[in-house]
Amino acid sequence: MKHITKDYPGVKALDDVSISFEKGEVHALVGENGAGKSTFIKTISGAITPTSGTITFEGKEYSSLTPHEAIELGIAVVYQELIQFEAMSVADNIFMGIDSESSMVINKAERNAKAREVLAQFDSDIDPAALVRDLSIANRQIIELAKAMVRNAKVVIMDEPTAAITVQEQKRLYEVVRNLKAKEVTVIYISHRLEELFEICDRVSVLRDGQYITTVDIHDTDRQGLIRYMVGRELTSTYPEKKPAGTEVVLEAEHLSGNGVEDISFKLHKGEILGFAGLVGAGRTELMHLLYGAAKKTSGTVKINGREVAPRNPGEGMKAGIGLIPEDRKFQGCFIDKPIFWNISISNIMELCRSGVIDRKAEMKQAQDYREKLRIKTPDLVQKASGLSGGNQQKVVIAKSLAALPDILIFDEPTRGIDIGARHEIYLLMNELAEQGKSILMVSSDMEELLGMSERLIVLHEGHKTGELERPEFSQEKVLTLASGIA
Amino acid sequence: MDAKAKVKRGELFSTLSMPVLLVILIVFFSIMSPRFLSPLNLTNILVQNVHVAIVAAAVMIIMISGGCDLSIGYQMSVAAVLVTKMLSVYNVPVFIAVIAGIALCSLLGTFNGIMAIKLKSNTMIVTLATMSVFQGISYLISESKTYHNLPNSFMYIGQGRIGGWLPINVVIMVVLILIVGFVMGCTGIGRKVYAAGDSPEAARLAGLPVAKIKVLSFTCAGILVGIAAVLLASRSGSADSGTGVGIEFTGITACVLSGVALKGGEGTLWKVIVAAFVLGVLSNGMQLINLGTYPQYIAKGVIMLLSLYLTNRNAQGM
Repeated sequence: MKHITKDYPGVKALDDVSISFEKGEVHALVGENGAGKSTFIKTISGAITPTSGTITFEGKEYSSLTPHEAIELGIAVVYQELIQFEAMSVADNIFMGIDSESSMVINKAERNAKAREVLAQFDSDIDPAALVRDLSIANRQIIELAKAMVRNAKVVIMDEPTAAITVQEQKRLYEVVRNLKAKEVTVIYISHRLEELFEICDRVSVLRDGQYITTVDIHDTDRQGLIRYMVGRELTSTYPEKKPAGTEVVLEAEHLSGNGVEDISFKLHKGEILGFAGLVGAGRTELMHLLYGAAKKTSGTVKINGREVAPRNPGEGMKAGIGLIPEDRKFQGCFIDKPIFWNISISNIMELCRSGVIDRKAEMKQAQDYREKLRIKTPDLVQKASGLSGGNQQKVVIAKSLAALPDILIFDEPTRGIDIGARHEIYLLMNELAEQGKSILMVSSDMEELLGMSERLIVLHEGHKTGELERPEFSQEKVLTLASGIA
Repeated sequence: MDAKAKVKRGELFSTLSMPVLLVILIVFFSIMSPRFLSPLNLTNILVQNVHVAIVAAAVMIIMISGGCDLSIGYQMSVAAVLVTKMLSVYNVPVFIAVIAGIALCSLLGTFNGIMAIKLKSNTMIVTLATMSVFQGISYLISESKTYHNLPNSFMYIGQGRIGGWLPINVVIMVVLILIVGFVMGCTGIGRKVYAAGDSPEAARLAGLPVAKIKVLSFTCAGILVGIAAVLLASRSGSADSGTGVGIEFTGITACVLSGVALKGGEGTLWKVIVAAFVLGVLSNGMQLINLGTYPQYIAKGVIMLLSLYLTNRNAQGM
């Protein structure tokens, strides 16, 4: 039995949090962004030292742990952003730092054989000699878990393991987690996807604003109950109602190919939210980049308002009336180290110039207008975008796209990494925009979001369109079947 | 609130560190040497660092666009020998020779930019290669000779004084600094250079022609380097293939000292110029108190390490 207890009186990041984890349980840790989940696991893994409080591990009390001590004790962390030796083999990664080998010289064959044995425990057939950088994210996670097994880990912490892997891979990961549990390993599981907790977890602990809220048995609660704990209030409807779209066709793609997608045709109506479903790698983002001009098409046509367009770069895509809110907010959407007003004006900066010189007043006024329109919560607009919450950053990215006055907006993963509370805001905005006559293409990996927000759905599988669903036919099962290419 | 105050303090520190250092150096050297504060010496510092300041501005533009240029020294060398050879051997009119030198440098810069884009490589490595190319070109033009006997009208650019006291080259420097500062700070084009350097992918998806912007930055830097080469050659009254070599390091040092980000997207011109003069005052002052070239190298390096230490400590303080 383990009882890890910690408190931090007076410190905001974690305020007097005590949670106990039992041997062989899968214990989920949930909370909105900034709730203190990462800080909490970092104290366990030894990455940071708690201000006060104690950690009790197998009856022994520690005031803090160093990373080395944590590893010695058998605590392993699978971080969201995997930290691995990318240019080294799978086997090398698994055995890195373990001095069990008899001789100074590494026996490659022996090492690979041992690695294969460990991997077999996960029903995995990853080649131990393969280089880590060539593997999928799901396989790389398995390597991290294998590493933990080799080190006889007693506690495995997984930080959002399913954020970037496909449905099938998720199923396999759940198997692996159950496997660990059967071996009496404690799994601390952090996730934003509440549905999956009900599938694999025993107990859930909720953090909010650095404070411990509660620990409940997963069978004693439901999704709504968890959300209530997380946000501290009732969210009545996650998906706001929207006026139905018109029938006027704004964008029409015919037999579009290139950038990994093939022969895709669809129509987008004015004021419509058209969802794109599919697994990671199905070609949804790639298709959006084709439309926007961020990638080259090889054949097919795109018509906007009946006129054929063929943007060769994003600049031309914007001129054609398309705006993109990219999937990776931090690297593709925001200029994170730049002020908010700067971010908002960058895509139409030339229009804010008088004979080449930026009109600062006009620039600030535009930023203020969008702050009001999109309800961006910030005291001042000269603050860096990095200081905003995920939801507000996303609003800045939306403002940036809107500043170029597009008719069609592409939302690629509009709420990835955004709190549940803030998501609702983004959904409201999307509906408002659609009702104002903008037409929206939405790519999402969040099934509930797709079903809740879209008026029609297009499903892709390995670069091909495998289905088109109208609202009445929406169901999770149908989408998954089409997305897996089984139908 | 506390965190905000810390950020403010960090910003204040990065803004004031170079001016404060400059003042400290000036005070220190004027105590150590009575000659330091003389009008003659102060003018000397200005005049001798005109080309350094202009090169630092060129380096800044490239670094803001997300690149780095190691070939600037030999770009200068090529321009300097071309101009002086045209003047002294072929008696080409001054105006044409000067324009030819500047034009050639802008072409060399453009070549760097295009190569970096086409080869999709790190600009530091690309310009390491082109540096060698330019070195060869410079020696082919100069035939390892030094060119003297330059016409007076050419020397006047680097040595002449307006009204008998105001050095022409200093005026040219000030004008160039004002232009570069204005373009980078106040115009849409400048804004785009910052965006392209800060996050090329975000800039591309925001519809900016990132490749064009980067090449253009190299071209502009080339023009500045060409002008710096002309000013240096005309001030010293001669040029050979060693002219300007190594200047890129002084330029990069000034940029890094003033907080121009190596990853691109950040940098302020006046801070860069102040940093360039910190280096200029340092070498002048050390010369005056009879510390030779070699201790100067050490001092430069130490100042750079110190500034890295302070910057880092401040960043962590946030």
